[in-house]
Amino acid sequence: MAQYDLTSKIAPQLDRHLVFPLLEFLQEKQLYPDDQILKSKIELLSKTNMVDYAMDIHKSLYRTEEVPQEMTDRRVEVVARLKSLEEMAAPLIFFLQNPSLVQELRSDKQYNLQMLNDRHQIGPDQIEALYQYAKFQFECGNYSGAADYLYQYRALCTNSDRSLSALWGKLAAEILMQNWDVALEELNRLKEIIDSKNFASPLNQLQSRTWLMHWSLFIFFNHENGRNGIIDLFFQERYLNAIQTNGHHLLRYVATAVIVNKRRRNMIKELVKVIQQEQYAYKDPITEFMECLYINYDFEGAQKKLIECEEVILNDPFLGKQVQEGNFVTVPLRDEFMENARLFIFETYCRIHQCIDIRMLADKLNMSYEEAERWIVNLVKNAKLDAKIDSTSGTVVMGTNHTSMYEQIIENTKQLSMRTYVLANNVASAAVPTAQAASSMRV
Amino acid sequence: MASRFWTQGDSESEEEESEIEEEENEVEAGDRDGGDTAARSKYLSKTASDSDESDDQRRVVRSAKDKRFEEMSLTVDQIKNAMKINDWVSLQESFDKLNKQLEKVIRVTESVQVPRLYIKALVMLEEFLAQALANKEAKKKMSSSNAKAQNTMKQKLKKNNKLYEVDIERYRASPVSEDDVDKSDEDDDEDEDSEVDVEEDPAKLAASYNTESDEDEDEEEGQDEEGGWEKKKSKRDKLMDKQFMRDPSEITWEMVDKKLKEIIAARGRKGTGRVEQVEQLTYLTRVAKTPAQKLEVLVNVVSAQFDVNPSLSTHMPIPVWKKCVQNILVMLDILAQYPNIVIDDSVEPDENETQKGADHEGTIRVWGNILAFLERIDNELFKSLQCIDPHTKEYVERLQDEPLFMALAQNVQDYVERMQDMKAAAKVALKRVELIYYKPQEVYEAMRKLAEMQTMTDAAAFEADLNGGENGDMEDDYDSKAANVEPKPSEDFRGPPAFIVTPEIVPRRPTFPEHSRTLMDILVSLIYKHGDERTKARAMLCDIYHFALLDDFSVARDLLLMSHLQDGVQHMDISTQILFNRAMAQLGLCAFRASLISEAHGCLSELYAGGRVKELLAQGVSQSRYHEKTPEQEKLERRRQMPYHMHINLELLEAVHLICAMLLEVPNMAANGHDVRRKVISKPFRRILEINEKQTFTGPPENVRDHVMAATRALSKGDWEKAYKVIESLDAWKLLRERDNVLDMLKLKIREEALRTYLFTYSSCYGSLSLDQLTTMFELSESQVHSMVSKMMIAEELHASWDQPTRCIVTHNVEPTRLQALAVQFAEKLSVLIDSNERAFDARTGGGLDGPLATRRRDTQDYAGAASGRWQNDFSNAQGRQGGFSARPNYTGARNAGGQARTGASGATFPKDRFGQGGRAGAAYSSGYQSTRYQDAYSSVGRTPYQTGSASSAGVRSTQPDGAARMVSLTRSGRF
Repeated sequence: MAQYDLTSKIAPQLDRHLVFPLLEFLQEKQLYPDDQILKSKIELLSKTNMVDYAMDIHKSLYRTEEVPQEMTDRRVEVVARLKSLEEMAAPLIFFLQNPSLVQELRSDKQYNLQMLNDRHQIGPDQIEALYQYAKFQFECGNYSGAADYLYQYRALCTNSDRSLSALWGKLAAEILMQNWDVALEELNRLKEIIDSKNFASPLNQLQSRTWLMHWSLFIFFNHENGRNGIIDLFFQERYLNAIQTNGHHLLRYVATAVIVNKRRRNMIKELVKVIQQEQYAYKDPITEFMECLYINYDFEGAQKKLIECEEVILNDPFLGKQVQEGNFVTVPLRDEFMENARLFIFETYCRIHQCIDIRMLADKLNMSYEEAERWIVNLVKNAKLDAKIDSTSGTVVMGTNHTSMYEQIIENTKQLSMRTYVLANNVASAAVPTAQAASSMRV
Repeated sequence: MASRFWTQGDSESEEEESEIEEEENEVEAGDRDGGDTAARSKYLSKTASDSDESDDQRRVVRSAKDKRFEEMSLTVDQIKNAMKINDWVSLQESFDKLNKQLEKVIRVTESVQVPRLYIKALVMLEEFLAQALANKEAKKKMSSSNAKAQNTMKQKLKKNNKLYEVDIERYRASPVSEDDVDKSDEDDDEDEDSEVDVEEDPAKLAASYNTESDEDEDEEEGQDEEGGWEKKKSKRDKLMDKQFMRDPSEITWEMVDKKLKEIIAARGRKGTGRVEQVEQLTYLTRVAKTPAQKLEVLVNVVSAQFDVNPSLSTHMPIPVWKKCVQNILVMLDILAQYPNIVIDDSVEPDENETQKGADHEGTIRVWGNILAFLERIDNELFKSLQCIDPHTKEYVERLQDEPLFMALAQNVQDYVERMQDMKAAAKVALKRVELIYYKPQEVYEAMRKLAEMQTMTDAAAFEADLNGGENGDMEDDYDSKAANVEPKPSEDFRGPPAFIVTPEIVPRRPTFPEHSRTLMDILVSLIYKHGDERTKARAMLCDIYHFALLDDFSVARDLLLMSHLQDGVQHMDISTQILFNRAMAQLGLCAFRASLISEAHGCLSELYAGGRVKELLAQGVSQSRYHEKTPEQEKLERRRQMPYHMHINLELLEAVHLICAMLLEVPNMAANGHDVRRKVISKPFRRILEINEKQTFTGPPENVRDHVMAATRALSKGDWEKAYKVIESLDAWKLLRERDNVLDMLKLKIREEALRTYLFTYSSCYGSLSLDQLTTMFELSESQVHSMVSKMMIAEELHASWDQPTRCIVTHNVEPTRLQALAVQFAEKLSVLIDSNERAFDARTGGGLDGPLATRRRDTQDYAGAASGRWQNDFSNAQGRQGGFSARPNYTGARNAGGQARTGASGATFPKDRFGQGGRAGAAYSSGYQSTRYQDAYSSVGRTPYQTGSASSAGVRSTQPDGAARMVSLTRSGRF
């Protein structure tokens, strides 16, 4: 299944720290040899300050207690730097940790800066130090600390570029702490800035959007309302463009979200269009499933793809999230996906048939005859399907839904008289005031 | 060989002139005779190649040429008359007239040689003037106006005669009429180029040199040193420059500089031999004292060489072109050898800048612009390819010069990159791109092989090539000549050894990567980084063309969409527009090969909309019945033409276009058979079909059109076998690579469309159709038939559904009867009427339509979106129509905008995010540009498989009409 693994495509668009969850997942799924994953983890860590963690991994990888000299050196260096940064930011941190002092802050940034400078001798240098300190904390893996500091930094910072980076940092930290609600808020804030800000170059903007979309995957597939969110975000014109130019692989997530989301059926057409256009650039079982079903009407093909889809979902770090339910471990998304996909197939199938053999249907839907019958009865009962079951021949007969020509004409002409009436009234009422005005003038 | 050329070039002999005259006149004659442009252009192209015209035409020639001379002699007679009565006023008038006529004559003859008649008149005038001035008494008696005229005349004559001093002198020496000489050589029908190499009578040569030296002496009178030198120089053919041969070190920098300035000053003056100038300058390159000076002289040599051909429409003689290239290469050698020498045209360098020797510290500036030279060289190459008859050997030989140009361009690019002038580098890179973008891999391969072969051939081959003008080893040899390291004894070009020896530093051979794509990628990315707007646009178009050529449709399409070239192309220069059209045509062919029929049709339909394909692709001039072109327009157009080897085969293009139109249009016509306002996909196709149907008898197909029409007739009956056979018999398929694949694809497509047509046409006659029957009828696989029929059902084109247990199609027969259809139309017209009423009311009251009415209106729209089937279709059509023609463009515009926006590519990789607004708003902005054809060409291209409403892919379920412009929502649900 490794051929459908997107980690290598997604990782470049993520923050270093955000890649860890993906690697963890891969390790669990055993798609790749353990060694390889551990090595890449160390490599990943080498650029961060999480030296202790790196050491642990090193030990488990080479099964030794020895730790290379450079790691220990680096540890010392990191600690020293942490100290010095802490010192520099100390006055401001002290100030911020004192609730009574924080009370003095107001919503006016200029005032705050002035006040800090005058009363507490905290100048721009200290504020800058706070940023550096927060960044360092983040790199050390202390996400909650970093998130707090960055939040406060944003309240005080005047440099918009810095503020933007702080926001990115905050988002990453929230994601890593799995505070999905807060993360979603930050995401929206960031999105607003990206969309409104006049970026130096469109290229830059595009890159930011791509990043944002990749980061948002963490949130959308974990947040309870994420499935609507992802559709809302990704189907926006500009984001769709970004997907098409820069991140074709995101189509998998869009497609999944659309299939799973019952209320967003109207997006299917748009999605299919995009998938068809990009099929030369990106293909995986999920998009192929859509293609089979909505472009080629190849139901057998769709069926085959559906089986592959299951595998893909299980092995995808975002889609294949497991939930412990009692003794079972389930992947809720997979179940939903399969259910909905089946429904899609059936629905499309019904639309072009007037008579379907239930046995065949059961075959296609991977159900037994009785199951299939029950399923259809349920659909009919819920008024989702205009059909009857002919149980002697074992077929489903669709109701015809062609409106007759007469009905159409009646439908179309029905409100004509009403409209004319309103129009006439309007004309008349518009004419009266003028007439009055004219007569009053004369008087 | 070079010297032979030079010899000929600077000779004052009358032969050459007369020949040129002849040719020019023949052209005129052709024009006058035939009167049609075709004949004319034929002759034009012939001027360069061969000329075995028949005799009767020469008769006309004579008279045409004589006409000018007659006019002139008439004026001379007038002058004589005026002299007799001593009327200076009319004399002055006549003189002015004469001068004007002289210009004309010279233009006609295209020579620098002044007619003898004119000189005679000048001599006569001079004598008369001297006589009149001597006669003091007569002068006193003259009226004031006459005296004044005499005075002016005196000055004018003095000034004028200076130009023709030599000729006058010569005339005085031998007042025998040379007119006969003029005519004596008329049998010599050599063209200019080959003539250059023709060995001439040595006696005449000598004579010509004598006259030349005379001229020089006259010029240099009083300047002992220079004069002497000049004299020697001009006689070098017989005995080369004794003084310098003996002691070249006597020539000083100042001498060279002075001479150079002198020659430059003479440039462009009347009576200065252009070729002669080149020769003088070439000589100077060898005696130049410092590298910088040599460079400076070389710059002037090259400019002078460009001057050799004065006309815009004809090309520079090929040997001169080659020498020019060599000179530039030598310049590059110098620049590479002495990195402290800088060539640039922004600042005027010091007077004595070039005096600084090779060991000078710091930069030495020399005036000149290598990039401009390169562009000119490219231009001349292009022009020569335009002019030479493509079916001759000469053309092929000329094409073989391309590697030479590539080498030059490569070197220039290296140089400008070294100079950090990335803008210029981008321009040079574009020149190289424009040389390779249209070459498929095979042709590219051939060019690469040629270049390699040339590298390997040794000097022995050179001798053979001497006359043929093979670029190969000429270079080396010429180089050695230019630098004069080892002058060949066999040549009559014996100069002193050059003072500045320039070793060959820059490579004389182009290097080509294995694949043309690699080369393109390198160059194009350089251009994208550094080029200006136009350079980038052109490079992008070349890139698209090349991708399309390599069958990479999706990449080419994405490039086109992302670059937003189609938005601005109508503001660009014409040659870029042509390039755009070429790219579109290629893209269309590429889409066809990739079996993307509707995309191919989208690309090509605009090119064919006006019936001016030839013009749009600059592959020939099509005559328009409606407006005559002025000669200037024609000339301009001719200058734009693509050389033959770059042509896109028109027959193939037409075949592809018509077949695409057929595949789309036949099912479409069947689907909307008795609908009056059926949707037309391809207008030109419909027109041709109509014409074809009007014919009482149809013969066997002859041209592409006939073939496609025959196929169309068969296809509309569902007879796919016959349709395929007719299509297959087209000759144009020979030109396709992977011909079999394409034909297989075509076969499949024809079967599919036949199936659709069949279903559209006959489904109403059947209650049910079995799947097996259809598969056997159209030889399609079961799944294919199932998929196609399902698609039609979903799109509600076919009112039927599957009966799964029995595997057949059950039709519902919901086709409206005639009466029903009329009722629908009627209802629809009513609602249109109400709509327009409401709109009128809106306009009157300033949009103050209150609540209920407005909402209701929206309701109707929603309804329009939600309604189904034919009704809906009609409704939207009516909308479009109702809006009149102004609405139509909008219709497509919206469609286009939709396609574009959706597919998006929001200018991401191309730094222009015009797209920001999103595509919905597009309806407005796209409506404007629908009118221009270049634009149009694109408009339907987009990624529009859905929007074009090609029946097969129309959407399953329309999205609700949203807050978008009305047109958009309506059209989007157009095909429900």
